[in-house]
Amino acid sequence: MFTMVKPRTFGYFFQSAGSSLVRNSWMTLASIGTVAVALLVLGVFMLLAVNIGAMAAQVEAQVELTAYLADISSQQRSQLEAELKAIPGVAEVTFVSREEAWQKLLEWYGDNRHFLAGWEDDNPLREAFVVRAESAFRVGEIAAAVARLRGVEEVIYGREIVEQLLSITRAVRGVGIGLTAGLALAAMFIIANTIRITVFARRREISIMRYVGATAWFVRWPFIIEGLVLGLIGAVVASSVLAWGYYFAVRSLAAAIPFWPFVAPWPLLQSLALALLCLGALIGVVGSGMSVRRYLDV
Amino acid sequence: MLEFRKVTKAYPNGPIALNDVTLSVSQGEFVFVVGQSGAGKTTLTKLLLREEKPTQGQIILNGRDITKMRAGEIPYLRRSIGVVFQDFRLMPNWTVEENVAFAMVVVEASPRLIHRRVAKVLELVGLTHKAKQLPGKLSGGEQQRVALARAIANQPAFVIADEPTGNLDPETAWGIVKLLLEINAAGTTMLMVTHAKQIVDSLRKRVVALEGGCVVRDEERGVYHG
Repeated sequence: MFTMVKPRTFGYFFQSAGSSLVRNSWMTLASIGTVAVALLVLGVFMLLAVNIGAMAAQVEAQVELTAYLADISSQQRSQLEAELKAIPGVAEVTFVSREEAWQKLLEWYGDNRHFLAGWEDDNPLREAFVVRAESAFRVGEIAAAVARLRGVEEVIYGREIVEQLLSITRAVRGVGIGLTAGLALAAMFIIANTIRITVFARRREISIMRYVGATAWFVRWPFIIEGLVLGLIGAVVASSVLAWGYYFAVRSLAAAIPFWPFVAPWPLLQSLALALLCLGALIGVVGSGMSVRRYLDV
Repeated sequence: MLEFRKVTKAYPNGPIALNDVTLSVSQGEFVFVVGQSGAGKTTLTKLLLREEKPTQGQIILNGRDITKMRAGEIPYLRRSIGVVFQDFRLMPNWTVEENVAFAMVVVEASPRLIHRRVAKVLELVGLTHKAKQLPGKLSGGEQQRVALARAIANQPAFVIADEPTGNLDPETAWGIVKLLLEINAAGTTMLMVTHAKQIVDSLRKRVVALEGGCVVRDEERGVYHG
């Protein structure tokens, strides 16, 4: 069924597909536009998911938990420290005074420390022990043990945040894929319609091809290529917009949300563009395939 | 080279287009197929090109039963048959040269061969000087000669001309028939479906007459009306 075609014949196929694309310029634009929108939506959601996932991974990798202390004496504090060190799985216990905590906060904000202006004289932070676990897997169980000790007011560790972030990631991914599936289907139908118009415009040429003995695949190829080109151009448009948008978004957001570990544009965008190109090609080929099957009687 | 063996073609809910037709054409023959509209001439052409399959019977071309061919073989069958139609069927926005070359592009001939052969067949039909023109600028007779050049570009052993002079005035028609005779003289088997009484009567070639789907007459040196 899938007859081989000589390589040089593809020159003819591309020429043929190209002239159709130019002739039906409005349908060409509509097809490219829908493919681009579908893939753009997918890309935006994927970038969101990747970045939220990165935050989750960063939090998850932390084997520390912070035990904030109630107002206790230094003697009670020493005792608490000993108790903390005695908990199985605890590797290290470090005391952080309110002043140290403040300094850390200043460092963390870096160039944006003006956000903290006005708080210097009235340090709102609490004393804390930072407890480092031997492994991330034991953080949960250590946190429970720490919370039971007297003098500990609150225990904060990454697990809950991680779980929340992961559930957001899942939701973002789900919504993105759902939306994209719908839009991709719409794009496919628009491409199918474009190809149907091309088949109609070329019916005379097609009938001549059949009389002079063109194989079925020889007749089909230009239409498949036309669909492929529509899908690929749509993907290129979507990738370019995404790349441009992501650079700008990361640049402005990195300043506003300094603690968020934004995933570097490179090579993330490269793999995203590759995925979008593949998907665009698939949408194009399936779309034209639908019309070729239905309307091209060869 | 061509044989119809008890071929019947009945369309669903329609009349019987061909009824038990048996016919044999040898290599290099020139055969007129005559008959009124609805006599089965068009069906005969369609069966030969495997646009349709007969309800019964066999059609043997060059030793092969074309009714049993797989879909993938049909293009190769059609390459061995050149076809000319009453309405020329040229691409209006392609030049004469491009129209002829298209038949060879489709069968993936090499560009060199296409170049050479197109020049040769255009010379044969006397249109070398119009190679770069669009069909719309040509007279009906010239357009039919382009179609003929396209039909023989791939050097088929067999040419079907389906009322090739139907749209032409008598003088122009003769020009086309002379070309068909020339092509036939070079060894190509020719099947000409026609209504042109004058041409059939003066050439005295073999005449197969169809009526109501049956062969009613098959004469070696026949005339239009028996």
